[in-house]
Amino acid sequence: MTLEELRDRMRAARIEIPENRLELVRRLLTDALQPIHALDSRAVRTLEPAVTFDAERARDDHGR
Amino acid sequence: MAAEELCYATIREISSRLRRRDLSPVELTRALLERVERLDPRLHAFVTVTADRALADAKAAEAALSRGVHASPLLGIPVGYKDIYATRGILTTGGSALLADWVPDEDATCVKRLQRAGAVMLGKLITHEFAFGIQFPGHRFPAARNPWDLERMPGGSSSGSGAALAAGLAFGALGSDTGGSIRGPASFCGIAGLKPTYGRCSRAGVLTLSWTLDHTGPMARTVEDCAYLLEALAGYDPADPASSREPVGDYVTPLGRGVRGLRVGVPREFFFEGIDVEVDKAFEQALATLRQLGATVQDVQIPSIQAAGANMVILLAEAFAYHEQDLRTHPERFGEILRERMLAGGLITASEYVQAQRLRARLRGEMTNVLRSVDVLATPTSPKPAPTFATVYDPEYGFPRGNTSPFNLTGLPALAVPCGFTASGLPLSIQITGRPFDEATVLRVGHTYEQATGWHTRHPKI
Repeated sequence: MTLEELRDRMRAARIEIPENRLELVRRLLTDALQPIHALDSRAVRTLEPAVTFDAERARDDHGR
Repeated sequence: MAAEELCYATIREISSRLRRRDLSPVELTRALLERVERLDPRLHAFVTVTADRALADAKAAEAALSRGVHASPLLGIPVGYKDIYATRGILTTGGSALLADWVPDEDATCVKRLQRAGAVMLGKLITHEFAFGIQFPGHRFPAARNPWDLERMPGGSSSGSGAALAAGLAFGALGSDTGGSIRGPASFCGIAGLKPTYGRCSRAGVLTLSWTLDHTGPMARTVEDCAYLLEALAGYDPADPASSREPVGDYVTPLGRGVRGLRVGVPREFFFEGIDVEVDKAFEQALATLRQLGATVQDVQIPSIQAAGANMVILLAEAFAYHEQDLRTHPERFGEILRERMLAGGLITASEYVQAQRLRARLRGEMTNVLRSVDVLATPTSPKPAPTFATVYDPEYGFPRGNTSPFNLTGLPALAVPCGFTASGLPLSIQITGRPFDEATVLRVGHTYEQATGWHTRHPKI
């Protein structure tokens, strides 16, 4: 991620970060997002994310 | 037993003495409170010392023992709670100026369970700010110091829990672990720390960092003590939507069964990148010990392990979602480092968050597959020993990758156990990871190794 891309994201999210801290945030996000950007999402043939339902659990939670 | 020896005794030893009535819970609690008063001004492990409450709990335990009530091995055992666990009527700060005056009206479920087991509440233990920031000098709550070297970090975010246990200020503590916050301090402080399976221990009443990654769990000086604490903590809690109904096992009895015939897998990729030479040597020695004890050790492959960085994407995005309103309305009440980390979470796109969750599912599947061919995984807990505060306060330090977060992503139970010391006397640690809800095997491997080596019997000179 370049500093310009970081600034674009900040504008879109209405988030302000002091100029002298931008490089640190850029590095944090670049490292964190590296595996995401390396992913070919079309090659992942899972049904995730998924929600599961548990009828018994629902009864308990609502005070059977 | 000398005072120093008493403060470093195990829960089993103390519990046995309490039952024999040759030690009173009140006498024990007074000894620990005196030690906290003497040592904590240098260590900063405690935010709040609940002396009156501790003595009241100790008297209640004494009364129960005199009635012949011996239901729990934790009866009369003094413990501390990380300051993100809500405690009824007692200040709970989360290490944050935002909550500096918050007094909850209900205990967290884990606190309730330890108190119900008869534990004595010594106080609240410092946490990194909202379990994620770093306390720079001048922070409202000073950072805990590592008892092995006061110029070094005890790890985080359960920093006070690690420091208190290493210094003999408590017999057990609760930590929380979103990317390694139980196992990191355990590693740096030379103690044991267990991140149980996601859903095994309740998160109800514990301040949130990241809903899908947060785990609660026990920390103690020995693996057996972690097992005693886990037996009291584990089990379904309707107040936590992620709580599991998986039956709770017996965690203490199997500890003595040894490791003969167990298969230990070592994933060589990812976990050894940038590793310190002394960490590597201690880890290989630990594997040799496990072999001598009868385990078989083999290398294993986790093809998507490099995707473990997805943990940080999920953590940042969920932490921002939880704190967004305060970040936008009271940004000045967050420490500078924490504020930037959390704001970074607001810059992650929805698509990136979803892809991170998909990578997580893939990694979980691969680890589950690997754990069909071996019983546990072993890795170094931390690639390096505890850093100095000067190192961490350097703006270039950033947020180094750890060996613990892959098991937050996958929710698997993971235990940190001491495995040696550097030449300069800093603790080193091995991480044992197991199948979902198989804490019993993880603890058994850790206990067998620990008892064969005795690293846990060394204590810092404070």
